[in-house]
Amino acid sequence: MNEEPPGGPKIRAGYDLEIRHLKNRAVEMGDWALQMFHDGWEAFEAGDLEAAQKVLDRGAQLDRYDEDMEHAAIAFLVLRQPTAIDLRTAAALLKITTHLDRIGRLGFDMARITSPETSGDKDDLTRVLERMDAVVESMVRQALDALATDQVSLARDLFRRDDEVDQLHREANRRIIDLMVKTPAAAPRLAMDLLVARHFERIADNACKVGEKTIYALTGQRRSEYLPRHPVVPYVLEAPRKDGRARK
Amino acid sequence: MKFDHHARRKLFSHAIAVVTGLCVIAVLYPLFSIIYTAVIKGGAVLFQAGFLTDVPPNACSIVACKTVGIGPDIEGTFILVGLAACIAIPVGVLAAIFATEYRTRGFGRAISFTADVLTGAPSIIMGAFIFGYFVLYDPTIVYSAITGALALSAIMIPIITRTAEEALRTVPEATREAALALGISKWKATLRITLITALPGVATGALLAVMRAAGEAAPLLFTALGSNLPFQGFNQPTAALPLLIYNFALSPYSNQEKVAWGATLFLLVAILIANVATRYMIHRLSRRYAGM
Amino acid sequence: MEGTKLKVDRLTAYYGDNPAIREISLDFPERRVTAIIGPSGCGKSTFIRCLNRMHETGAHTRVEGKVLLDGEDIYDDDPVRVRRRIGMVFQRPNPFVTMSIYDNVSVALRFNGRHPREYVDQVVIRSLQQAALWDEVSDRVDAPATSLSGGQQQRLCIARALAAGPEVLLMDEPCSALDPLATSKIEELIGQLKQDYTVVIVTHNMQQAARVADFTAFIYLGGLVEFGPTEQLFERPKERLTEQYITGRFG
Repeated sequence: MNEEPPGGPKIRAGYDLEIRHLKNRAVEMGDWALQMFHDGWEAFEAGDLEAAQKVLDRGAQLDRYDEDMEHAAIAFLVLRQPTAIDLRTAAALLKITTHLDRIGRLGFDMARITSPETSGDKDDLTRVLERMDAVVESMVRQALDALATDQVSLARDLFRRDDEVDQLHREANRRIIDLMVKTPAAAPRLAMDLLVARHFERIADNACKVGEKTIYALTGQRRSEYLPRHPVVPYVLEAPRKDGRARK
Repeated sequence: MKFDHHARRKLFSHAIAVVTGLCVIAVLYPLFSIIYTAVIKGGAVLFQAGFLTDVPPNACSIVACKTVGIGPDIEGTFILVGLAACIAIPVGVLAAIFATEYRTRGFGRAISFTADVLTGAPSIIMGAFIFGYFVLYDPTIVYSAITGALALSAIMIPIITRTAEEALRTVPEATREAALALGISKWKATLRITLITALPGVATGALLAVMRAAGEAAPLLFTALGSNLPFQGFNQPTAALPLLIYNFALSPYSNQEKVAWGATLFLLVAILIANVATRYMIHRLSRRYAGM
Repeated sequence: MEGTKLKVDRLTAYYGDNPAIREISLDFPERRVTAIIGPSGCGKSTFIRCLNRMHETGAHTRVEGKVLLDGEDIYDDDPVRVRRRIGMVFQRPNPFVTMSIYDNVSVALRFNGRHPREYVDQVVIRSLQQAALWDEVSDRVDAPATSLSGGQQQRLCIARALAAGPEVLLMDEPCSALDPLATSKIEELIGQLKQDYTVVIVTHNMQQAARVADFTAFIYLGGLVEFGPTEQLFERPKERLTEQYITGRFG
């Protein structure tokens, strides 16, 4: 990458193609991870062990994607010695790979804790969890779209939606704890629900990180340059009421 | 069919080789024949006692012949060529420096062009020019070592300028730039670095000029004039080997003719030795720049 | 913020009627390495040659604008004096072929005044050390300069330039004629030189600029496009043109 490549426009086009190719591979990995997440949740919700097993079988491929992406990004760095946007893209993709891997892993985990025992009436809770799933899946899809189409605005939008996920997470926690108090026998099962709610929150966070890295690749901006830092306070878990009724 | 072409080509090749060989012989023959004749005819004379120091003989009858020698002429040639070199070398080199340093401006180009033209000028013209000038402005020294040296230097300068200019041009621009970039003034850089770098070439040019001058008779015909006496002074007519050869070769007297041949041989040998010696020194100088 | 050693103010340089560089203004920070990058033929060499008044040694050349060394315009001063304060190393090593290693290094001293032999010896040794060449030639300083390899000759030229006692060292693509090993030796040496000298290096090799320079300037078609800390220019350039050039998308 020293001076004008001797091949001229043909070589440069190949170079751009290489970068596009890298991004596409990342999106492909993202699709795989998203599928694992979706199927993992469905399996958990239905208590379907067979479906869960299918998700677990996909774990190996996720690992392969991770390794391949890392290798491809590093090869690009060493052979092309990129600068500016190309450099940022390669560096960003290395991190994006990790976040996509986490998303897939969290779906994997949902499959892993699947159990056929139903836990009785938890309509409200189920609604909340299903809502979380819808939002988070859509966020992951949006992050992948931003990466595939180089759209900064799509990526920026993710942070707003993350706030909704946080709210839903709090609500889910509240309901689960109330249910635990009300029906202690179902506690083991409800504990799994707690985990799943947490997984949703984590997946959303990883999707935001993907968006953040996408913005960095395209513009060079780091998070602190476009997001105000809101004060973080500890999340205080409210003590359940003695009568088992949900708090407002 | 193939065989035919092949044989024809071989025949043609051989024919060309033969023709080339004949041309080489044609070129070398005069040179060797001169050397041969000079050795035959002048060899005996050269080794006689006193030949190199005594005064040349007058025309004499077959009966009684006096001393045979070319002493004054050797002395004269050295003085004339030496003096001419003292004038021509500095002037020629400086002109070459001007020509290369002001290459792009009219002045430099004019010098270069003039030197080129003058190297081809007949040498007798230089003699005639000097003669004419002094006849007009200072007739007392028309026939003298001074005018002789001036005439010879007029021949030497264009040669020196042209070869020195070529030599200076072979010095890469990078060398000049390096010197300037060190904060060395342009003239110091030119004289102490560029010129020194070009020294082998410049020295060769000087050598060529000196050898040419040593062998010239025409420009001395009406300047130094020649004499049979040892050196009398710079404002006096001076002897020179080429002049002696010119005069005595036309003489009907056999003793003078012998002297002419002896002088010819001497001149040839002297020039050969000077040539070899100077080339060797130049070679030694160039070897120090190994890897250039 | 470090001081500015060399300040260029609206510099324009001509070949005949043609301006090879137009109104470039740039501040070179003291005791730092500044790299000048840009495509071939876009004025980098012309620019750097204006900084020590070498441009005007060519035929039909003209310079407008100012170059201030410690606040004083070098175009008001004697060019020979300027070149002693601002030294230059060229693209191809050009040691004086008639001289030994010692004579090459000491040439600036010897030609500009009389100095006692011990003093000259000291300067020669110190310059060769600064150029990371002393260890390799300490036993043969009287050998001809041409007996050195290409990389060594270039370091000799650096030592020669340093022996003249400059404050600024200009380097015009000093490694482009050298193999990678020789190149890396010189790059390392540049890193050490900046402790004592302000260095300006023209290079067409961007990785080299990234390796050795604190600041980088991008010159294109005779004009300054961008100037900034090297890391910033290579990770996140401000100008679109800069990004296109450094990622190889010109054309």
